[in-house]
Amino acid sequence: MRKNRFISILALVAGLAVGIVGCATASEKGMTAKQSPKAAEVAQMISDADAARKKAASVKGEWRDTGKFIKNAQKALEASELERAMKLAKKAKAEGELGYAQAVAQKDLKMPAYLKY
Amino acid sequence: MKRKYLVGAAGVLAAVITGAIVAPQAVLAAKGASMVEEGKKIAFDRKKGNCLACHMMGDGASPGNIAPPLLAMKSRYPDKAKLRAQIWDATTANPDSTMPPFGKHNILSASELDKIVEYVWTL
Amino acid sequence: MKKLLAMSMTLMMAVGISSNVVASPEADKAAWDNHYKQRFPGVPADDYINGVYAIDKVGRENWEAIEEFPPYEPFIDAGEEMWNTPFANGKGYKDCFPKGPAIAQNYPHWDKEKGMVMTLALALNNCREANGEKPLKYKKGSINNILSYVAYQSRGNKINVVIPKDDPRAMEAYEDGKKFYYTRRGQLNFSCASCHIQNAGNVLRTEVLGPAKGQISHFPVYRSKWGTVGTLHRRFTGCNKQVRAAPFKAQGKEYRNLEYFLSYQSNGLELNGPGARK
Ligand code: HEC
Ligand code: HEC
Repeated sequence: MRKNRFISILALVAGLAVGIVGCATASEKGMTAKQSPKAAEVAQMISDADAARKKAASVKGEWRDTGKFIKNAQKALEASELERAMKLAKKAKAEGELGYAQAVAQKDLKMPAYLKY
Repeated sequence: MKRKYLVGAAGVLAAVITGAIVAPQAVLAAKGASMVEEGKKIAFDRKKGNCLACHMMGDGASPGNIAPPLLAMKSRYPDKAKLRAQIWDATTANPDSTMPPFGKHNILSASELDKIVEYVWTL
Repeated sequence: MKKLLAMSMTLMMAVGISSNVVASPEADKAAWDNHYKQRFPGVPADDYINGVYAIDKVGRENWEAIEEFPPYEPFIDAGEEMWNTPFANGKGYKDCFPKGPAIAQNYPHWDKEKGMVMTLALALNNCREANGEKPLKYKKGSINNILSYVAYQSRGNKINVVIPKDDPRAMEAYEDGKKFYYTRRGQLNFSCASCHIQNAGNVLRTEVLGPAKGQISHFPVYRSKWGTVGTLHRRFTGCNKQVRAAPFKAQGKEYRNLEYFLSYQSNGLELNGPGARK
């Protein structure tokens, strides 16, 4: 699952790179938003979001929907819906960071006061 | 859902802008009323505030009993900012609180939170 | 019981009231027992194996009606057939578990050789793989048949989870499970304890929250919501997801250690699986 996500991101980045090179060699078809500098920026945002998700997972703090947002962001990017992709990537990144902070803040077990020893 | 709400918000905004020219006071009151109404909707929505899961509030059906009923809020929270802080992150006041940190964890957006505060303040 | 209490008291005095105590498993269990006894003074200790129905009168009536025609029965039968059917190599579960099929009370346990918590589901799959069979999936599907059969045959046996003293890694696994239990997770920021200890007996929307003690006695469980029998780790998955936390892998280290900690707190209770739930 996780690996899949990673692979698809790699594929995406690779695809973008190829696309950009493709443009440079002056083929006029396929010159969509996907190859625009903005799209590259969004792709970067998505991979940053996935890094944040992974960092949260590394401390067992990943949230339920973060991965889904990243997947949907990728889909949106592929469909050249850049605004939507950006929004989802931002949301996912924030979740990754919050989940990480949540876990780290509880690094040491602190027993709740309602349980009396 | 979200889009509808956006459209609604845009509508309010438009109303405010046009209204501001005509009759500022009446419009402000109308805006307040619709804030309260939207706040109520968000508070009751299971995918949003879902406050009813734990609180008895207003005329909401089948509330849970995990938390105290939300009553006399205006007198208990004369300072609206305090009320907002409780909803933003209840664990600040009580580290063992079961109440989800609606603001801190982005469960609700800032504007959704504002609307909920307006609604809760009427209880 | 009194001894446990006394022990936990001494412990408390020894370390002050600080809440960052590394308490012994005995003290952990005593704290749970006291908590639930205070919350539910009318519930007899051995009724906790009925989960939420120990404290939810209305739910209990429905449940008792369901238990008259147990929905998990066909799964027990299918499991019995699995148990008695040899693998392709001629061997079977019987050869891996000569004392079977009433063996649920031996799990989870610390496997010193493998250095990990061994659960019944894992042991069953290890048996399959050792005999050249494909392992079964850990949440849904036919693993629930064989688990249902073993659970049914083990009814009445007592839960007796041991944290052996001769291997510090066992205690580490227990502590890891304990940490998991009290850690808040997900966007909604709940720990397992938030619902099953702090709010046990309270109503979340329309759902009565059951006590954690006794929760593991009746797995696998037929859930009307699932329309089938599911494993304990499937339930863990659901309880993680409902607070918007990413679930962990069924039979991965996190859930096995959690099962170890959680099962220990039910020591002394009778097994009564499989169960039926909403
Ligand atoms: C999972 C349960 C839960 C949910 C959901 C929940 N709360 Fe709470 N809330 C609590 C608890 C428990 C308290 C008691 C104080 C504490 O522990 O923080 C509380 C306290 C409060 C208070 C302070 C009450 C007082 O008497 O001072 C307010 C206001 C409040 N909640 C508003 C809300 C609103 C608005 C929502 C929905 C957006 C909400 N709560 C959702 C559990 C919940
Ligand atoms: C938001 C509240 C909530 C949280 C948090 C929660 N659960 Fe649950 N859990 C429930 C509800 C509701 C049920 C169904 C009613 C019952 O049996 O308590 C349930 C049922 C269960 C059951 C099945 C009980 C049975 O008799 O079949 C198990 C086991 C369980 N939870 C374990 C856990 C564990 C472990 C965690 C932490 C990972 C956890 N729960 C966190 C609400 C919660």
